[in-house]
Amino acid sequence: MKKSNRFLTVGISVVAASALVLAGTSSSDAAVKKLSTIKIAAVVKGLDNPYFISVKAGIVDTAKALGVTANVQAAPGLNDDIGQANKLDALAGQNYDCYIVIPISSNNLSQGLGKVTKKGKPIINIDSPVDPASLKAAGGKITSFAGTDNTAAGKAGGESMVKLIGKGKKIALIAGLAGNVTSNARIDGFKAGAAGSTFVGPVNADWDTTKALDAANQMLVANSDIAGFFAANDQMAQGIAKAVAAAGKKIPVYGVDGIMDNLNLIKGGSVTASVSQYPYVMGKMGVEACVVLAQGGKVPAWTVTPHKVIDASNIDAALASKNNLPPGGYKDPYAALIKK
Amino acid sequence: MNIPAKSPASSAQAEEAGTSMYAKLRLAMKDPFFWSNWIVVVAFILVVVVFGAIKPHSFLTMYNLNNVLVASSIPAIIAVGQTFAVTTAGIDLSVSSTMTLGAVAFGLAFTNGWPVWASCIAGTLAGLGCGLLNGIIIAKRKISDFIVTLGMLSVAAGLALVLSNGRPRQIVSTQLSTLAIGGVGQIPYLMMIALVITVAAHFFLFNTRFGTHILATGGDPDAARSMGVNIDLVKIVVYSVSGTLAGFAAMLTISRIGAAEPAANTSILLNSVAAVVLGGVSLFGGRGTIFGPFVATLLLQALTNGLTVVGVAAYYQYVSIGLVVILSAALVRTK
Repeated sequence: MKKSNRFLTVGISVVAASALVLAGTSSSDAAVKKLSTIKIAAVVKGLDNPYFISVKAGIVDTAKALGVTANVQAAPGLNDDIGQANKLDALAGQNYDCYIVIPISSNNLSQGLGKVTKKGKPIINIDSPVDPASLKAAGGKITSFAGTDNTAAGKAGGESMVKLIGKGKKIALIAGLAGNVTSNARIDGFKAGAAGSTFVGPVNADWDTTKALDAANQMLVANSDIAGFFAANDQMAQGIAKAVAAAGKKIPVYGVDGIMDNLNLIKGGSVTASVSQYPYVMGKMGVEACVVLAQGGKVPAWTVTPHKVIDASNIDAALASKNNLPPGGYKDPYAALIKK
Repeated sequence: MNIPAKSPASSAQAEEAGTSMYAKLRLAMKDPFFWSNWIVVVAFILVVVVFGAIKPHSFLTMYNLNNVLVASSIPAIIAVGQTFAVTTAGIDLSVSSTMTLGAVAFGLAFTNGWPVWASCIAGTLAGLGCGLLNGIIIAKRKISDFIVTLGMLSVAAGLALVLSNGRPRQIVSTQLSTLAIGGVGQIPYLMMIALVITVAAHFFLFNTRFGTHILATGGDPDAARSMGVNIDLVKIVVYSVSGTLAGFAAMLTISRIGAAEPAANTSILLNSVAAVVLGGVSLFGGRGTIFGPFVATLLLQALTNGLTVVGVAAYYQYVSIGLVVILSAALVRTK
């Protein structure tokens, strides 16, 4: 392999000890690395958010099922970007075969990832992407990214709503923080999916339930003919549902994410649907991609993790699934590549 | 690590001129504060030895010790500032958002084409502004430092969001990334900066007349006032020092994460208070040490690093770090 050749030439000039280590890694290309010897390190966002607890569960369960070792570390607290960078730095020096990361901000892990890349170890980035410019400046390289395609998720929501309310109706849009990439992608995707409808907004409600409630109230007062609401996340959909109920109307409300609170509201009928993301699956795919790479295999550079519109028709299946897996299964490009 | 043979506390005690080194040392040994000062050093060595024994090939590598030093440098600078406030029996709860405001000021200056050094001054001045305001309100209006700095915590965090429009600014500068990654030998640049600040702060607190005034104000403000110490000025200076250091540390944060983030990082505040208490600074004022909080910061970072390297699950880390803080504080308080 090209990579190991380069390492060997470098290795000659390096001290004997590190040369031994490098020889060790290159020999693993010949015989597939045994699953029980594969070690994976993961640094996720704060575990004060159920979403990332779900990612962690996906990593831990999958590692256990495959028989590989996984060390899952999390940012010590909300917004502790430096604390998370410290954790990655601590793990980067150790001999893990592969690293899974979800950065708090798009920049904060870049320097640590640079160190990982310099050691020649693969990196799987899940959920939130690392900023390519800062990563390049630090000399880092992401081997594969696995996350939701937010445009496609928004589009699925738009198509589903048009099916429900009919073509050419007026739909109100409520977005997250102004300028946020994720929010924009979901709103744009929704507009494409619901093409032919007229749109009110988008109004920015900063991902916040209360702000979305206020925004929805104002939109309802100004437009009596709103036939549907789409929010860029579930928290905001909950606020909209309250506004709609208070106005005594029956208007479909769609959200994105599929958080447990909202699934319960869909079951209860106050929220109509949510385009669910699957954090557990992201964690699972992260581990699988790592195992494939540790065994010397190749993985796609970008994998779209599943999304699914959850509404009255499939809410029972969604709630019954223990780890909140998508009803009806999903495509996993990594699982088949693992050599057992 | 770089603890001088002579305890910093002893210099505050040994005011009499002309005492020999031996007599100074003997005096220090009798002082219970001397021992509480050294417990944190013992605890630090213990943490290094324990993790070194469990994972010698991961924890005790130059690479990893380098990590501990890098991770310690920013909290150490904040802890030094916090020490000044606590030495006067006060507390600065605004350090974390002062640092955020400093980062945003740096980001604004930098993205408007200012060079790194000028942006750094902008960030430091923003911090100085917060500290100065804290100090003036506390000194002149006689309002509890707890309330004033708690208010400033919110004001500075809000200002940071207003000025940045809630969005991070990417800072791409080779100078800054060299600062974050590089070093001389095994000592990272960031730690060298922290060390220089620590030594300078030690000199200021224990070898200048104004430093003595700070200690006197914390010990007994009424007595200090009757001795002619300008208590108001002391208060204003200590909060300004704390704010300035927080604003300056913002630059180091930016160098590490490559962006000026408007979100406040509250763990910086908790870390600084924990380090000050562990380091043996009395929360009731008057008894201070600069090297104590510095070593305590190393202790806390070595602990987090060690737990991560050993692979202790995230949930247990919170428990273990909290326990170590309480345990060491209990030991430090034993007279």
